[in-house]
Amino acid sequence: MIFSVVRVAVYVLGIVGTSMAVPLAVACIEGERRMAGVFLSLMIAGWAAAGLFLLRGRRRSQVFDVRNAFGVVGGIWIAVCLFGALPFALSGYFASFTDAVFESVSGFTTTGASVLAEVESLPRSLNLWRCQTHWLGGMGVIALAVALIPLLGVGGFRLIKAETSGPTKSKFTAFVSNTAKTLWLIYCLLTVADAALLHWAGLDVIDAVAHAFSTIGTGGFSTRNASLGSFALPLVEWITFAFMLLASVNFAVHYRLFTGRFSEVWRDTELRALVVIVVAAIAGIFAIRAFAAADLSATFRTTAFQVASILSTTGFMTCDYLTWLPGAQCILLALFFIGGSSGSTAGGVKVIRWTILAKQLRNELSRILHPHEVISLSVNGVTGREVFVPVVATFVFVYLLLVMVTAFFGTLSGLDLFTSFTAALTMVGNVGPAFGSLGPTSNFGAIMPALKWWYAFAMLAGRLEIYTLLFLIGRMR
Amino acid sequence: MKVFIIGAGFTGIALSQTLIAEKNSVTLIDNDPERVRHASDQLDCTVMEANGNDLEVLESAGIASADAIVTLTEDDEINMITCSLVDAVYPNILKIARVRNYAYYDAAAAARRRLKVAFPAGRPLYGIDVMLNPDVEVAEAVTRAMAYGAVGSVIELEDGYVLATVEIGEASPLAGLTVGHLAEVPGWHFIIASIGSGENSLLPNGNSLIKAGESISVVLKEGDVSVLAKLTCSPAAKARRVVVFGADRPGMLVAERQVVGARRELWRRLFGARPSACRELVIVDRDQELCQKAARRFPEARILCGDVTDEALLAEERLTEADLLAAVSGNPELNLVTAAYLRSRGVKKAVALTANVSYGDIARKLGIDVAVPVRGTVVDGIMSHLRGRNVWSVHSICENRFMLVEGRVAEGARFAGLALSEAAASGGFLVLLYRKDGGGMLQLPSGDTVLSPGAHVVIIAASDDHETLHKFFL
Repeated sequence: MIFSVVRVAVYVLGIVGTSMAVPLAVACIEGERRMAGVFLSLMIAGWAAAGLFLLRGRRRSQVFDVRNAFGVVGGIWIAVCLFGALPFALSGYFASFTDAVFESVSGFTTTGASVLAEVESLPRSLNLWRCQTHWLGGMGVIALAVALIPLLGVGGFRLIKAETSGPTKSKFTAFVSNTAKTLWLIYCLLTVADAALLHWAGLDVIDAVAHAFSTIGTGGFSTRNASLGSFALPLVEWITFAFMLLASVNFAVHYRLFTGRFSEVWRDTELRALVVIVVAAIAGIFAIRAFAAADLSATFRTTAFQVASILSTTGFMTCDYLTWLPGAQCILLALFFIGGSSGSTAGGVKVIRWTILAKQLRNELSRILHPHEVISLSVNGVTGREVFVPVVATFVFVYLLLVMVTAFFGTLSGLDLFTSFTAALTMVGNVGPAFGSLGPTSNFGAIMPALKWWYAFAMLAGRLEIYTLLFLIGRMR
Repeated sequence: MKVFIIGAGFTGIALSQTLIAEKNSVTLIDNDPERVRHASDQLDCTVMEANGNDLEVLESAGIASADAIVTLTEDDEINMITCSLVDAVYPNILKIARVRNYAYYDAAAAARRRLKVAFPAGRPLYGIDVMLNPDVEVAEAVTRAMAYGAVGSVIELEDGYVLATVEIGEASPLAGLTVGHLAEVPGWHFIIASIGSGENSLLPNGNSLIKAGESISVVLKEGDVSVLAKLTCSPAAKARRVVVFGADRPGMLVAERQVVGARRELWRRLFGARPSACRELVIVDRDQELCQKAARRFPEARILCGDVTDEALLAEERLTEADLLAAVSGNPELNLVTAAYLRSRGVKKAVALTANVSYGDIARKLGIDVAVPVRGTVVDGIMSHLRGRNVWSVHSICENRFMLVEGRVAEGARFAGLALSEAAASGGFLVLLYRKDGGGMLQLPSGDTVLSPGAHVVIIAASDDHETLHKFFL
């Protein structure tokens, strides 16, 4: 068993290693010799390990049972994060291995919280790799592995389920590998479209690709210190606004869009709720900010951008929201709790969970007035979804518990209460920036190393929706 | 008419009795010797002990000259296959199969609708002209009983015509007039089908008096419903509350018909017409699992899991204030008790599903407004298709006192070629709507209208008046 787990993990590392061809090419073009060497050697190392396992062992399709699936997925994610930290550690730009791991975990979990204050001096290839980790982690390395390695076969769906987000998970094609391929195809199409538009809007090719990786993965790393705001191109901001929202929509919805099943798209409860939240948040914040604003169009643009950025858990910045009126900040804080859609690249509690709980509230009120009533709950126009209520409630409980524990550790290591609490939200929700001393213009470089390790764990737990890591830590028969 | 019946169970025998009473020739076939003996003892018809799905047996019994075959064995598959077999050789015989499995019935009904659209002239699905599901028949009967009572409602006819029942308000200009004088009321251009409700209802003639507080059934265009409501000044429709007791199949089907009505009501309200269906639907059952299924099926209804005779539940949900109760659970005795109890506690009208026709009297004594017998309903359903090829549908209305028959005037029938005023001299029926063979829309007839053969008519007559039907349709 251990052998097959390690084998799958090494194959995934081989895939991640192969993807280093992209920053390697950039390093060659830009003449960054040291980085070229790092990427090349890691690529070869990945291939060598994978090749070793290709020769050894039978090429039998590997089926993981439910218990093992969580362990496999958790293990692979940890391995990938450590492997992905190597370019950072070997580049010499990071003060410690801890920093490199934090950056890598922050990348693969699409959080986008950096330990670096200065990123513009990094080699361009390394900056691209930072954004590329978002892209790999956004759709999920497991899904990528299932799409590419036939070995995982039937059991692959179990692995993908342990990796993707949301209370309901379904294959939308008969073969799981087709589902994974379709997901990645849509993902790639969105990325290419975003990169092309960004390039057309004025970014150079490397910056366009890096920001497309970061946007579609809903990560938040940028190649500039002042994030997207430094380009001062409104068009870039609007393009990114649109793609951040697209990336925070369930990819099953994208699939239906691509296959022309529009009626099903509109029936999607989560999509409707997402639209309502986005519109309401933008309207609310804009109404508050408009009082004190001189330039209304810029205010509207930054408001819309920041709402999309936080709700999609991307974490790009075009302005410092700590300077907003407290009411506007409060609405933004509420978005930290919500997150994107299930089955998207976004993190957070997910819109569908809150929607289900909101519907349950209505049912609960009705049940108080009518104690004998039997009520159903419908999602996407399908009734009988009340079975998800305890599932969702439990998840929200565990989620908030993890937030509280993380906040507690933050205060222990010297952060003030508000900073620590919002940092916990941003870590578990994979958003990126927090409030207070870890706000959008600050970075995570100065916090204690122990806290960095805990934050890395919190980010990973948030990305894998907590249960996967819980199974990895505790043993339950 | 010569009818083959396969299966001498309760329904088979009851159907035979009804057919024999109407002077039809019946051949009853069953493969159980005990049942065959029992049947031949009490029925005046040919009873054979044989396998009904054996074509040779059927041929030796003379199926070639039969008009219809009805399959009523315990086995849905045998019922359907027998009809298909007969259809293969004798496509002109009317084939009716009882299908108890709702999944079969529902799937077949859906396929049948699509077939009809794709191949209007094609053969029926599996060669079965009519599939009957007992649960559906029961639900239809209960729904009709509900519709024609406290809740006042409409039955849809063809070409946008409806039969609407309304109560005459105190202020109505119609009150105190005789039917003959109605034409003088401005705006009145309708035909009254019946006056009064339930036991006391009657077919109107020119001298019938219309009193305030009574209800009348009127044939009119759907769009004229609001005009009628104004003329009759019927008391404003209050929030109507319907309680369905029992969440198994018949209960679900009854609820579905109420809900569909409610959904359609939205359109009616948008166009300013009078709402017709229930406003609030409550479904009660003791079984948690059935309740959950019901909750998933009808998000718009209130589903209660509990004992409907439980005092606490009644008070909690104010069930006694309901306008209508339909007790349609799988337990007929419990239905009777529940309906009687709730009726005594203040529910305005109660309909109960019972086992036998003979329970009707008990039910009435207990204060239940309508008792719908399960077995009698299935026989009625089959009979409505055995009135000959010229009869398309038969609705029982006014608590079974009258029937509403849609059909085609037969070639050589007694009334064929007569003017309506001549035909009506024999009395006992009314022609409500009329359309010449192959032409135009249904119209309200006048005394001069000629009942040409092939014309489409909708008539109302006493439920036991088979003679009138013969004069039109045979």
